[in-house]
Amino acid sequence: MRADDLIRPALDRGQPALSEYESKKLLSLYGIPVAREKLSRSADEAVSAAADLGFPVVLKACSPELMHKSERGCIELNLRSEGDVRKAYGRIISSVDLELEGVLVQEMVSGQRELVVGLTRDPQFGPCVMLGIGGMMTEVFEDIVFRMAPFGKIEAKDMSEELRFKAILGAFRGQKPVDMDLLCRTLIAVGQIGLELDTVSELDINPMIITPEGRVVAADALVVLRRDVK
Amino acid sequence: MIESIEASPLYPIANPKSIALFGASNNVTSMGTSLLDSVLDLGFEGEIYPIHPKENRVQNLKAYRSVLDLPNVPDLALIVLPTRIVSEAMDACGRKGIRHAIVISGGFKEVGGEGINLEKELVAVANKYGMRFLGPNCIGVANPRHKLNTTFMAFQGAPGFIGMASQSGSFVTQMFSYLSDYALGFSTAFSVGNEANIDIVDCMEYLSASPDTRVIALYIEGIRRGRAFVETARSIVPKKPIVALYVGGSEAGSRAGLSHTGALAGPDRLYEGIFRQSGIIRARSVMEMFDICWMLGSVPRTKGRRVVIQTNSGGPGAEAADACGRAGLELPSLSPETIKRLSPFIPRTGSISNPVDFTFGKNLIDYFSEIPKALLDEKNTDILLFYFFMPSRRLERMMKQVGLPPDQITEKTTKLVDAYSESIMRLFENHDKPFVGYTFQNLKDPLVRILIERGIPIFPGPQRAARAIEAAYRYTRLRGKILAAVSQEAGVGQS
Repeated sequence: MRADDLIRPALDRGQPALSEYESKKLLSLYGIPVAREKLSRSADEAVSAAADLGFPVVLKACSPELMHKSERGCIELNLRSEGDVRKAYGRIISSVDLELEGVLVQEMVSGQRELVVGLTRDPQFGPCVMLGIGGMMTEVFEDIVFRMAPFGKIEAKDMSEELRFKAILGAFRGQKPVDMDLLCRTLIAVGQIGLELDTVSELDINPMIITPEGRVVAADALVVLRRDVK
Repeated sequence: MIESIEASPLYPIANPKSIALFGASNNVTSMGTSLLDSVLDLGFEGEIYPIHPKENRVQNLKAYRSVLDLPNVPDLALIVLPTRIVSEAMDACGRKGIRHAIVISGGFKEVGGEGINLEKELVAVANKYGMRFLGPNCIGVANPRHKLNTTFMAFQGAPGFIGMASQSGSFVTQMFSYLSDYALGFSTAFSVGNEANIDIVDCMEYLSASPDTRVIALYIEGIRRGRAFVETARSIVPKKPIVALYVGGSEAGSRAGLSHTGALAGPDRLYEGIFRQSGIIRARSVMEMFDICWMLGSVPRTKGRRVVIQTNSGGPGAEAADACGRAGLELPSLSPETIKRLSPFIPRTGSISNPVDFTFGKNLIDYFSEIPKALLDEKNTDILLFYFFMPSRRLERMMKQVGLPPDQITEKTTKLVDAYSESIMRLFENHDKPFVGYTFQNLKDPLVRILIERGIPIFPGPQRAARAIEAAYRYTRLRGKILAAVSQEAGVGQS
């Protein structure tokens, strides 16, 4: 699969953005680690996906129209059994009145440390990559830094050193330091997306969870499309 | 990057041998007249040709009806005319064969509306003849070594080592006197105006190649060629530091987007990252920008951020230690060897730790010689921060007390001050560690004045000194980062 195979059909359907499922597929193409997940279209499919992934799981309504899910009651966290999954599936279907691409069944990525990684386009500097403290508190801490793409590993590492709360990237309450090499490769890859894909106008990975072992995993992602590009 | 300074389009603009001047007259209140006055006042040594439709002489110079009538082709046209006739003058310059201009006149893009079209027209005329120009809506250039000052303010002070490119003309002209108070000055300063043709990136390239420029200062409200800016800065920073003040958009100006990233990408944060990526040291005020320039242009590159403080009194030492701590600097302990070396010079009332406190030592010369020498040799530290109190008044009083006649007091005081300054200069010149001073005295005090005129940075108060030291350390780190990236890329290229 190529990036265009994801983006073209979405543009043809008039989508303003890729769905979460499509967004993460795009990230995977660029080597960015994403949560394991399957798209289900029925409660039975969701249950079997959960069994494949292993409990606990997360269920999320999946649609390109849904850009900010947490406030709309369409995420169900920490589902530990078949029964949990079946009930959660029902609640999501009844609470969201959009036409859904499906319900996303996702491994429950553990980790208390959350980053945000993103892409924005500046009229003068072109594609710029953001790194920050992520999760629910992104706007509270506003601890974010930017670099113009492209850049190498040394610059990517310097981004992490510019964060005020960079201490969470080190060994933290019994959890391992972040895999800096993997984080740097992720930041560089986000810049590559900006440089190579004119059709991507902006991008969020939030949260990018740091697991207790120090891996980074994209737990949620949003790729916003630009429709004015040929 | 340009190969040599002569290859820069700014070279003829900053170093012209002859100038055609549009807009000067015998009317003393006109801007063009005061501009010609500035040029003459600094003693420009080349030819000046005023172009005036009616006058035969302008300020005692032969005036010409048209640029086409000039006996030869000037290197530079200086244009201070009403907006609507600027393009016409530019076209005449093009026909004459002039290839470089400074357009001082305003009323172009910066006012919107018709001004936007007038600027496009001006650019088109320049392009037609392959002309390069600074402006419009700028105040031009000050290159005091070339005795060129095209700003309408008289130049003050002496040439220095700060190369500046500014998106505000005032931060060129209003700084002449400010800088001379610190015995600083511009090597060359450009006011870039609307950057319709030559922009701030061109200025950076010129200043990078300028042998008189040790440090580059930028005042920025917005960068137009973003990607070229970053690449150019990264290629300059390994050899010359760049200090920038950015006061662009507020966070409220951030672009509305569908993503969090777009919403968070306010211009201030974006520029913060861009500067760090470019290896540029960001200053928080104009004064801080020049403090950092002073530091970086005067002392050797610091290897680290470990500071040792020398004072003659507890309070100024404690305050300096506090200022260093707040600026993120370290105050290491002295090694046993240094402590041993210092003990003969420090009285029992003093303190041999960090800060080193001399109090009232017997021989004042030790304060300016043996003690700082030992501290510069100290292996645990990277920088000496030295407190200057006012010794001359104290010396005068002491000599009066022992009954010396008044005429001898002045002479002896001068001799002692000379001895202290010579001693400090020897240390300053013979050590590869930064020596930085701070004081609460007037910078006109004899000892301080002698030393700043000989190139030692002595900051008013320890906070300014500490922040300048921190900035110097930042330069060391940013430079190291860029050099590491360059060698990594080269390594990847080979493999």
